[in-house]
This record gives sequence, structure tokens and C-alpha cells, in this order.
Amino acid sequence: MTPAVPLMLLGLVDAAFSGFRAYAGRDARIRKARGNLRAAGRGLAVGAALLLAPTLAAALLLATPDRARTYAALTSGGWGFLLPLALYAAAVLLSLAVYFTLPFRAGTLAMVIGLGPLTLLRPVAVATACLAAALNHGGAPALLVGAIAGAAVLCVEPIVYRRWYREVQ
Amino acid sequence: MLRVRHLEISDLITAVDLADGRRLPVRRDEVVRQLRDSGDEPAARIVAGLPADRDGTLDPDAVDRLLISVHTELQRLSEELRIGNRLVHLLGPLFTAIRADGGHPGPYRLVDIGCGLGYLVRWLAATGALGPDVELIGVDLNAALVGEADRLARAEGLDCRFVHGNAFELPEAATVYVSTGVLHHFGAAALAGFFRTQAASPALAFCHFDIAATSLAPIGARVFHRARMRHPLGRHDGVVSARRAHDDETLLRAAAVPGMRALLYEPRGLSNPFCTTLRPILGVRPQLEPPLRQALGRASRRLVGPEHLGPVRGEATR
Ligand SMILES: C[S@@+](CC[C@H](N)C(=O)[O-])C[C@H]1O[C@@H](n2cnc3c(N)ncnc32)[C@H](O)[C@@H]1O
Repeated sequence: MTPAVPLMLLGLVDAAFSGFRAYAGRDARIRKARGNLRAAGRGLAVGAALLLAPTLAAALLLATPDRARTYAALTSGGWGFLLPLALYAAAVLLSLAVYFTLPFRAGTLAMVIGLGPLTLLRPVAVATACLAAALNHGGAPALLVGAIAGAAVLCVEPIVYRRWYREVQ
Repeated sequence: MLRVRHLEISDLITAVDLADGRRLPVRRDEVVRQLRDSGDEPAARIVAGLPADRDGTLDPDAVDRLLISVHTELQRLSEELRIGNRLVHLLGPLFTAIRADGGHPGPYRLVDIGCGLGYLVRWLAATGALGPDVELIGVDLNAALVGEADRLARAEGLDCRFVHGNAFELPEAATVYVSTGVLHHFGAAALAGFFRTQAASPALAFCHFDIAATSLAPIGARVFHRARMRHPLGRHDGVVSARRAHDDETLLRAAAVPGMRALLYEPRGLSNPFCTTLRPILGVRPQLEPPLRQALGRASRRLVGPEHLGPVRGEATR
């Protein structure tokens, strides 16, 4: 099995959240469900485009003569890359579940020690994933593809923000 | 060594004539000097980067745009921390107590002092959380924020209004005065005057929410504002607010004004600092305390009066 599918799905979900974050704090209306959906869609679109970069990088690496070895390195590196990100995603999901299902005091807790700091930790999660990719027998190819993928997901929010939400709505 | 005084940039870059509400020009170098004198070089640098005209007067339109932008981000914090629910958790029972007290038939009026973009008032209008017999009004000293609050309310067809005015002059009569994130803008001495003015009005209660002064507040504010606010001014003022927050004792003593029973909800020791970011100081007409406690149910154990503090320091030795 290849880790490419879960990684791509995770990247796309992350891009939708990045779109939401780019819009958050830019529109002071009370009813924002439509705006949130549009922003998530914009994040998804930008993310889908940016994630072509690591896909292309992997394809180029696989076009080299030693295809089988590169494929094996990218596969095990990919699983290594996925592990820290899956843990990060689980922490986010848990915080979101607490935030949306429990009363406001628990919601505050989920925001203050969960979702707020987790946003700041995104670059750390990506760096850890890159390291894990290299260490999990992925070597330089997995590190390269992982770094490009990590940079791509981290770029979604600033791009969506600059393109659509620089001004208050 | 310089003694660090905690000044918020947003308090310094706008000025109004309190007599007539007119906007006054603000000199950039004067604000920069004040911030440097207070020992806050990063804040001085933020202000030094704001646009000014040839005479060095801060561009009022740019300042308004910046403050509207920062307050829009501030609203995101209120949304994420569910400030509306937090308020209704107390104001719901408070209005239940007022309605039960036969002497005060509706309609009632809630006035949010220092409303900024009026998030709370607009949220209450959109959700109808306090009932149709409560009129909703926001007041703020900053005309640009009041104008934007009004525009936003019109855009969504919300039944509420906004007034330009000074917190200490109570431009609108109210049944209940509320505020969120405003008390730390006033020094301890001004605070007592603020509560006294409301106690001297026909209002039945006040309920002012501000940052809980816990040891976690400054670090929590730093992390959270870093994660959620984009402009350095918003990040800076958010952290300074947490440092300036009044402690339980100051609030309870200041709110113990004639005609009102001072009550603090979720004081230190009765709340988890991770769950309580903002908590209110209340003043209620004494006859409203029993029905308020009844309407609050179990939550009323978190509501304490000045007796919670014990004797004033020095009193015991007298
Ligand atoms: C930190 S902001 C809080 C805004 C809003 N209540 C919120 O929670 O987002 C403080 C607000 O108090 C207002 N303010 C400060 N001093 C005031 C005064 N004397 N009278 C009326 N409003 C005042 C400021 O203009 C600003 O909008």
C-alpha cells in the first residue's frame, strides 16, 4: 500500500482549514457560514494546485533509472512522514470534538490549550514529519518530496489571505 | 533601569475631546516618546511605522482602518472563546431575576459600554438569546468603531443600535450595563467612579466582563494572540491587556458602591484558569441577589461578594 493517498487527503483537508483560517478575523458579520464555506473551498483549490508540486517532484524522482529503490524509499519515507502528521491531526480532531460538543468552559479549554497552540505548531509538525520521513529509510528523496509538500501546505493560508482576504470584508 | 508601564497602543493613537466627542489630532512622535518612556520599545517601533502627515500627525483615516481591522480580529477571539454564551450564562438568569421582581415590567434595555464593533450586541440581536423584551444598544468612545458596528448591524438587518459616547457619562439609560474587555482600560481609581455612575442611575444591575487576572493570563494571551491576530498592534495590546487586568480584590472593592451589591463570578480559587478567560464583576440591586442566585442554580456557588476577600489588610491587626 502507498502512503500517497492518505497523505494527499490529509493535505487537502488541511488546505480547506487553511482557507478557513485565512478568512477568520476578516469578516465581522455574525452569520458567516457561507463565507466560511467559500473560504474553505478557496483553500482547497489553492491546496490542490500547490500539492501538484510534491506530486511532480516524486514523479521526477521515480523517472530515474533506479526506480524500484526510489519507490521503496519514498514509500517508507512517506509512512514516516505520515506518522507525526497523523498524531497532529488526531490532536486537532480531539480539540475540535471537545470544542463543538461540550459546554463553553470546556470549549474554552479546547481553544486555549488545543486549537490555538496547535496552529502555532504547524511548522514544527511539518519539520518533524520531514525528519521522520528521512529517518524512516526515506533518505534524501523522501526528505525532498516531504519538504516540498510541507512548504506547499504551509503556503496555502498566506496565499488565500493575500489573494482574497487582505482587506476586512 | 526603566520601570515598565503597561500602555496599549490603541489607547494612545486616538484622542477625543471628552466635552464634545470631537476627534483630536495625535502626534506620532509624542506617542512614540510615551511608549519609549514606559520602557516599551517594540510598541514604540510599531507606532513609528504608522502613517503620518508632514507635520507628524497620525493619519486619522489610516488609524481608523487599522483599528477596525484589529477589532475584527478581536471579534474572532470573542467568537472562538464563545463570549456570547459566557455572557448569556449570567445575563439570562439576571433578566429572569429582574422579570421575577414584580416592580419592573419590561421592556428592558441592555447597554454594552465600550462595545467596539458591537459583536456582543449584534450576536445577542442575531440569536435573540435574551428575549424580545430586551432592547440592545452599544456605546463606544471611538466614532469609527461605532460607525462600523452600525454598518454591520444594518448589513444583517439586526435589531440593535450604536451610539458614540463616553463610558463615564452614560449617554444611554439602561436596565443592565455590560461590557467586555473594557475595565482594564481604566485605572483602579477611575473604576470605582465608573461603577458609582451606574449605581447612581436607575439601572438595576451592571455586569462587566474582563480578562481574569491569573498568572496564566499573560502567557495565554501571548500564545493566543500570536496564533490568532495578524497585526503587531493587536498582538501587543492583547498581551498588555492581560497584564493590566484588575485582580479580584480590586474589582470587588471598586464595585462595592452605594445601592449595589458587588458580586464577582468565578473568582480565583473557584475557577479553572484554562476555562475562564473573561469573568465578570457584577453590581445588582440588593433585592435581586436571591432571585439571581436561584435562577443561576448550582452555578451560584461561583458567585461571591466582598466577604469572600476576608478583612481588609491591616484591619485584623487594628
Ligand atoms: C479592548 S476594546 C473591547 C471592545 C469590545 N467590547 C470587545 O469585546 O471586542 C475596548 C473598547 O473600549 C472603548 N473605550 C475605551 N474607553 C472608553 C470610554 N471612556 N468610553 C467608551 N468607550 C471606551 C474603546 O474605544 C474600545 O472599543
